[in-house]
Amino acid sequence: MSSPVLQAEGLSKRYRRREALSDCTIAVPPGRVVGLVGPNGAGKTTLLHLAVGLLRPTAGDIEVLGGHPASGAAQLARVGFVAQDAPTYAGLSVADHLRFGAHTNPGWDRQLADDRVTRLGLDRSQKAGKLSGGQRAQLALTLAIAKRPDLLILDEPVASLDPLARREFLQGLMVFIAEHDAGVILSSHLVSDLERVCDYLIVLVASRVRVAGEVEDLLASHYRLTGARRDLADLPTGVEVIEDSHTDRQSTLIARSTTPIDGSSFAVEQLALEDLVLAYMSQTATDPLPALETTP
Amino acid sequence: MIWFTWRQFRTQTWIAIGALAAVGVVLVVTGRSIADAYAAANVAACQGDCATAIDTFLSQVWTGASGTVYDLANVIMYVVPAVIGIFWGAPLLARELETGTHRLAWNQSVTRTRWLSAKLAVVGGAAAATAGLLSWAVTSWAGHIDQAAGDRITPGLFGARGIAPVGYALFAFVLGVTAGMLIRRTVPAMAATLAIYGAAVISMQEWVRAHLVPASHATRPLDTSSLDTLMLSDNNQMTVIASDNLSNAWVLSNQTITATGQVFTGPVNPQYCGPDQGPQACVDWLATLGLRQDLTYHPASHFWPLQWTEAGIFIALAVLLAGFCFWWTRRLT
Repeated sequence: MSSPVLQAEGLSKRYRRREALSDCTIAVPPGRVVGLVGPNGAGKTTLLHLAVGLLRPTAGDIEVLGGHPASGAAQLARVGFVAQDAPTYAGLSVADHLRFGAHTNPGWDRQLADDRVTRLGLDRSQKAGKLSGGQRAQLALTLAIAKRPDLLILDEPVASLDPLARREFLQGLMVFIAEHDAGVILSSHLVSDLERVCDYLIVLVASRVRVAGEVEDLLASHYRLTGARRDLADLPTGVEVIEDSHTDRQSTLIARSTTPIDGSSFAVEQLALEDLVLAYMSQTATDPLPALETTP
Repeated sequence: MIWFTWRQFRTQTWIAIGALAAVGVVLVVTGRSIADAYAAANVAACQGDCATAIDTFLSQVWTGASGTVYDLANVIMYVVPAVIGIFWGAPLLARELETGTHRLAWNQSVTRTRWLSAKLAVVGGAAAATAGLLSWAVTSWAGHIDQAAGDRITPGLFGARGIAPVGYALFAFVLGVTAGMLIRRTVPAMAATLAIYGAAVISMQEWVRAHLVPASHATRPLDTSSLDTLMLSDNNQMTVIASDNLSNAWVLSNQTITATGQVFTGPVNPQYCGPDQGPQACVDWLATLGLRQDLTYHPASHFWPLQWTEAGIFIALAVLLAGFCFWWTRRLT
């Protein structure tokens, strides 16, 4: 697993007149659990579909685990994917789905699939169309996991689940990550879903990558600055403002700086991941900030 | 992938087997009464007066249950390929695309090409087998009738016999698959399949089939004792057509020509032909003109060459469409 999880260069996807993804350049180092976050319609599904080869880029290039998406059976075997709403064959039973997985994946781990289904308490003779949303998502995840991929890609896996099913799903996912040496990319429009599982974050807003980097680095380089009202121009060099709000007397800034900020004129606070992401999401600037440099 | 295609297709397979079995039972039961009538009328061993034997046999068939079965079977032979295209072909990809399950299927360790190959091979094979079995059953069941009536090469029956139905079924199936793939919705794809299949089969019958094998041509003296048509027009013109007297042939054109080769249209000699003279005088006069009958037709011997060519054309169309499906599926999103 030495190839980067995901590497995109100037990746763009246009549907007729609408730009779904613009000039996306990212390089996710190997072995990361990647969270893809952004508001609905930001292009998360487009990016993930490009990564599994369900879509072809209009421009640019994308590689997943060092290979072109869906370029052959070998590449398909390396990447497991659960599409949004976890599509399953409504008329086929849980057992049929497992047999489907076994017949279409040379690396199928029957033991793993059986154990998961038993642990989840899924009735094998139940038709997938009669499962609850949470059970269906679990079945789809089981199919994706039991093919033993090197990378698991999940598109909004918990969006349709109630809080309990959501927690169970994410716990199951964390167990999988812990037990198997596989990378994961999962998208959500809620940071709280991703916070516990991800160590790498990509924030996608309005078809552009706003920021991408290790969660640790992101947290270490973003601050909330509160101080007397001031012009943004006279900030220390190396400080980029992500979001600013002002009252008559006071300015509150969310800012990024790779060096510690001198706290003499500001109250400097660390940010929670959620606040950080929200700041990027509400950012009005159309120019994307350069991706945070990370050392592989 | 083959197992899974079969699993998805299981219900349809049982329906097809059940329907074939039901048709088989009906054919076996009525087939006995046909064989009895055939033996009773002594058609096989007739000497001299075969026409009477055939008439006896056929009228016995038409008045019994076999007559109804015969009509139904002819219709079914055209309907089955359409049903295959509509219910097996159109949903094959459309339902996956409609319900989003293609996103599941295309992310297993199987390329789209293999995925589509399995689907086309399993269901296409079933389509060919169904149509082939059915056509074989109907063709042999109707063997005595077709032979006695001498008409299986004529347009309506031709496509309900032999191997042409296999070509229709394969074409209709892949057509349905293609329509479903392009339209991505099952019901509109079904409608498109029916419309195009119908148009293709009708076009073949009306405009193409006659030219698939060079037709036979015959010119002989006009037999005025067997005129089918004798029609006088106001402008001193007339139309004369004699019976073709061909058994088991598909007549494409039957004209009466003059000694110089022009189509005979008159002029009428009012001395012999007219409302006052009665038809016989006119017929006698026609016999003196040295008219000839000019026939273009496909004799019974063209049946199998036409069958193979027509089936071949539809199978070739199916292969072309399948090729397009492979190409399009690879770039489908």
